[in-house]
Amino acid sequence: MAAMTTTGTQIEVRGLSKRFGDLVAVDALSFSVSPGRITGFLGPNGAGKTTTLRMLLGLVRPTSGEGLIGGARYADLPAPLTTVGAALEATSFHPGRSGRDHLRVLAATHRIPDQRVDDLLELVGIPAAARKRAGGYSMGMRQRLGLAVALLGDPQVLVLDEPANGLDPEGIRWLRGFLRRLAAEGKTILISSHLLTEVEQTVDDVVIIANGHLVRQGTIEELHGDPTTLVRTSRPEALVDTLRTAGLAGEVLAEHGPGAVRVLSDDLTRVGDLALEAGAPVHELRMLRTDLERLYFDLTESPENRNRNLDRPETREAS
Amino acid sequence: MGPLVRAELRKYLTTRMYWGMALAMFVTGALFAAITAAFIIYGSIDAGGNELDLEAVLPELTLARMVYTGGIQIGYLLALVIGVVAIGTEFRHKTATSTFLAAPRRSRVILAKAAALVLIAVGSGLFHVIGSLIGGGVLLGLNDLAVLPDAAQLGRTLLLALLVLALWALMGLGIGVLITNQVAALFVAVAVAWIVEPLLGWGLTFLDGGDAFARFFPSQATTATLDVFTGADEQVTRSMGGSGEQLPWWGAALTLVAYAGVMTVIGVWLTRRRDIA
Repeated sequence: MAAMTTTGTQIEVRGLSKRFGDLVAVDALSFSVSPGRITGFLGPNGAGKTTTLRMLLGLVRPTSGEGLIGGARYADLPAPLTTVGAALEATSFHPGRSGRDHLRVLAATHRIPDQRVDDLLELVGIPAAARKRAGGYSMGMRQRLGLAVALLGDPQVLVLDEPANGLDPEGIRWLRGFLRRLAAEGKTILISSHLLTEVEQTVDDVVIIANGHLVRQGTIEELHGDPTTLVRTSRPEALVDTLRTAGLAGEVLAEHGPGAVRVLSDDLTRVGDLALEAGAPVHELRMLRTDLERLYFDLTESPENRNRNLDRPETREAS
Repeated sequence: MGPLVRAELRKYLTTRMYWGMALAMFVTGALFAAITAAFIIYGSIDAGGNELDLEAVLPELTLARMVYTGGIQIGYLLALVIGVVAIGTEFRHKTATSTFLAAPRRSRVILAKAAALVLIAVGSGLFHVIGSLIGGGVLLGLNDLAVLPDAAQLGRTLLLALLVLALWALMGLGIGVLITNQVAALFVAVAVAWIVEPLLGWGLTFLDGGDAFARFFPSQATTATLDVFTGADEQVTRSMGGSGEQLPWWGAALTLVAYAGVMTVIGVWLTRRRDIA
């Protein structure tokens, strides 16, 4: 048990594929998710995120490949709720049953006492409302209840499908802090989203898929790329020379307008000082941020990755 | 296994369905026992040209048995509904996801549902039996007829009635697994149990040897299990809608067990393979 908490539990997806009729929803997808970090599982709607998560959790049979949690298939976990907590759909509650009773039903499967149920409802902030029938819950309450379900067995791994969906800004901030704390405890957290910007500030790692294919996996820093600075000057060549002497890589970049120089550094002071040294008048000096949203669109919306679900009728006609 | 059965019982007891069902079982039991009693006491049937006074021609045990099982067709229909809903609601409200996440070995979930359904059907069946005893007993008593002519024999019949209800609930579970659209499943279950199957059974009586098949039908096996017509002469039985050749009670009970068993096995097999989306 002690070894478990220090090493954590890894999620391993190996060559996972799912075919629905002649539609390939997930195609030979492989990636891994590390403990102690929050991993964003990203892709546009219809990219295969939910199908992948459902295969990982034993709800959907893979056509081929497997998903492993701590080296085991979900169905082989002796007491799954104590290893993996999942919130897949914010709407999957019986409208006539109270949220508390929904939790109690699931608690019964693992002999979890009612006290734990009440503690969790307190933790997610809906202790009183959870005694009412779930039919009247707002989306935010459903998300919180879903989170309580996921945490029921105090699992090492959390798998949350679009957890921020329907939360108000305050709720999203709360969720972010909440997930951060859990990750700091060494838990493995995988959250899906169709928007990179929604989880950008929450996640450490990203797995981006489009049309069932992996298009990018890495840390959010890697996605941001190296920190760069933009300088606009009337003497770009002189600046580049001076930068090179100082050991900084710089290049003239026409696409950013006349006299633009991109420097591989995030030290604005140093770049400004070097420009003075080079005798290059500075017209503009700022950090150049990677536009993640644009990068995300480039990755997922490139022609070969365009959502086939949307233009299926067309391809049918063509074929 | 125990925790899963407990979870299933909790599921049933945490929606309003359980008391609605208990109430429906009680009311229909009382109402139909009273109607049956009134029919036997005040009515007469036409048998081969001469009017038969049922109260006079039926032995008192047979009479009491008919009265107290008067609502069984409604009772088993309700049990069938309980069975369909036990799985149908999981698909309808998508709670199947959390159910199978908590218990990924799905065959165990279906078996736990089956075990819980037996308890639930017996539990709500008790309301039905008590309702029947009250609704029928009052009328029998008021007309100076024996309320409990043979307590041991009647007790046996009522226990068998509980068994019958449990078996119909399991058949419902099977239908609910086969047809995941709950509304469609309920419609099919009710239509088959009340319209298709009786009509088919009736139609078979016109065929040579058709009775031999028809007596294995669930509704006729149910009547046979409960020994409803035992003691009444054949003419009376026929004119009250019972077919001539019936299975012995144990054979009929085993027939129902076979239906329930086959449905449960199909349920396990299908549920194991299905994608839960």
